[in-house]
Amino acid sequence: MYDLIPIFLASSLRLAVPLLFLSMGELISERAGILNISLEGMMLVAACAGALGAWATGSPWLGLLAGIAAAILFSGVQAFLSVVVKANQIVVGLGLNIFALGITTLAARALIGGRSQAAIPGFAKSEVPILSKLPLIGPGLFGQVWMFHLTFVIILATWFLLKQTSFGLAVDASGSDPRAADKTGVDVARTRFVAVLWTGFCAGLAGTFLSIGDVNTFTEGMTNGAGFLALAAVIFGNWSVARTCAACLLFGFATALQYQLPAMGVDLPVAVLVMLPYVMALVAVTGLMGRQQPPAALSVPFYRGEK
Amino acid sequence: MMPHLRKIPVSLEAALPVLSTLLALLFGALLILATARQPALAAAAFLDGAFGSAYAIGASLNRAVTLALVGIGFVLANRANLTNVGGEGQLALGGMTATALALHGGGVALFFPATFLWPLLGGAVAGAAWGALAGILRVRFGTNEVISTLLLSFVAIWIVYAATHSTRLLRQPQTSSTSLPESLDIPTITQIPTIGGSSGSPLHLGIVFALIAALCVHFVLARTAWGLRLKAVGVNERAARRAGVRPGRMMVLALLCAGALGGMAGAIMIQGEQFNLKSGFTSGYGFDGLAVGLLARGSSLVVLGYALFFGFLRSGGISMEIAAGVPSAVVQVIQGLIVVSVAASTFIIDYSKQRS
Repeated sequence: MYDLIPIFLASSLRLAVPLLFLSMGELISERAGILNISLEGMMLVAACAGALGAWATGSPWLGLLAGIAAAILFSGVQAFLSVVVKANQIVVGLGLNIFALGITTLAARALIGGRSQAAIPGFAKSEVPILSKLPLIGPGLFGQVWMFHLTFVIILATWFLLKQTSFGLAVDASGSDPRAADKTGVDVARTRFVAVLWTGFCAGLAGTFLSIGDVNTFTEGMTNGAGFLALAAVIFGNWSVARTCAACLLFGFATALQYQLPAMGVDLPVAVLVMLPYVMALVAVTGLMGRQQPPAALSVPFYRGEK
Repeated sequence: MMPHLRKIPVSLEAALPVLSTLLALLFGALLILATARQPALAAAAFLDGAFGSAYAIGASLNRAVTLALVGIGFVLANRANLTNVGGEGQLALGGMTATALALHGGGVALFFPATFLWPLLGGAVAGAAWGALAGILRVRFGTNEVISTLLLSFVAIWIVYAATHSTRLLRQPQTSSTSLPESLDIPTITQIPTIGGSSGSPLHLGIVFALIAALCVHFVLARTAWGLRLKAVGVNERAARRAGVRPGRMMVLALLCAGALGGMAGAIMIQGEQFNLKSGFTSGYGFDGLAVGLLARGSSLVVLGYALFFGFLRSGGISMEIAAGVPSAVVQVIQGLIVVSVAASTFIIDYSKQRS
């Protein structure tokens, strides 16, 4: 029983990694006023492009680049349609998700197809000397792929961007009162556009982590709702960096528990655990667990020069 | 010149979705040309699967029924300016409830039409409850219905998963190691009767329900005081309240009705075609139905057209995959492009309205 704890901890953290990347990206977009329902699609495109890139070039590093580039490009479409065209963000997001599922399935079948998917090179796990031998937390914190440690950088970067830079101020201004922001000289459109591209970059990391950092393959629809879970984490985290991270860890924990409980001989329906994050997010948005403060202008397009 | 200019937005409004759809189809055709080894075979398989036989047409129409009901529900709620993203969950719960009632709900003991109407009604009620829940959250706590219906969808999907994986719930008895996590088949008498006659077509009575729903919703929205109140809430909540409308109640009712239509569609999926409950049986129909509702731009009659189009597209895509090895994901690409381009084209409509 006790020897399962380090394994469990490691898998909880591993499952939280894509959620952390995604939600840190989405957090900045939402604080700027753009809701990316297409988060799932961005991640899927990155996972596919990452795997294909790594397979075609034989290098996981080039795969990583391909994945990030694809996700940024994809987020650029969402950004263009939400910010410039001012189309309904939710509709665009849902459409992009359907499109992403289709195009990645096509691309993977056409290019990899029947060939063995084992040929996709990925990043190997690296064990930090000594530290990875620590009891309980060693394997979880110091025996993972390097991209795992990148989450700390991304979390810090997100926090720094929001709290310590003028860009962060512009983001919050654009998301809470775009008209006032515009009057004080903030370029709302540009701020929002850049924020969505940042989301794309983070989703790129999440997707490539999944396909070449974790399982080294691409399967159709492999993101399996992680994008939506990350949206839930941002809501549950009340649009704050620290609380969103905590939500991701909690969700990772709940997901890992479903694999671990049967091994521990506990008979609890798996579905209840998988459902839990969505129920928690739902309870959170009702404000029963403390007041929720979504950005006031979330998903509202901004028309410059109108009253 | 002026009267001519003023006419442009109106024609644009009708033409742009059609134009976007055609462009997306063209892109899909190019994709097939690029990826299929034998494009001619793929095209033939597509047409054969969509229209090639009485069976194919019946199957396509049945698919359209599901999409239409979800789409009509979307249009209804959207009249109150509510976006119901929860079609997938409403389908799932409707189908699950219908299965439970058909298997264990005592429907078999009833006289004939009630045997299949009873589970159908149960499915609609379950969907309605799920929709109304989002409405209540919106009215009581101010929770954005986009977020709540989306989250509720995932909860519903996993409830169905739980139900199909536990023998204490709906999973069939595990007689061998190969018995799948599915429910038993529902009794024939609780299935929705087919109306294809001896042609071998699987077409069932569901199409009648979809037609009735489209006409009813069209009538209610266009001709009744209730429809007008719904619109008043959608256009300006505060003004509606001043005029004596209770916006909260209207919103809950709107989402309740949308959910009921979704739940009914889920019940029809089970009782008309699949005959047993599997986890994930909704396979994206809720989101496709949402797209159908969006494309219809507020008209429950136009929903029927787009539902037919998407229904035939799906059938053709599946046949193309089986007969010509072209992944049916091409259809998803086309659908995604249609939704995105129609959403984008509203910009052109708004712009030309501003100009005139």
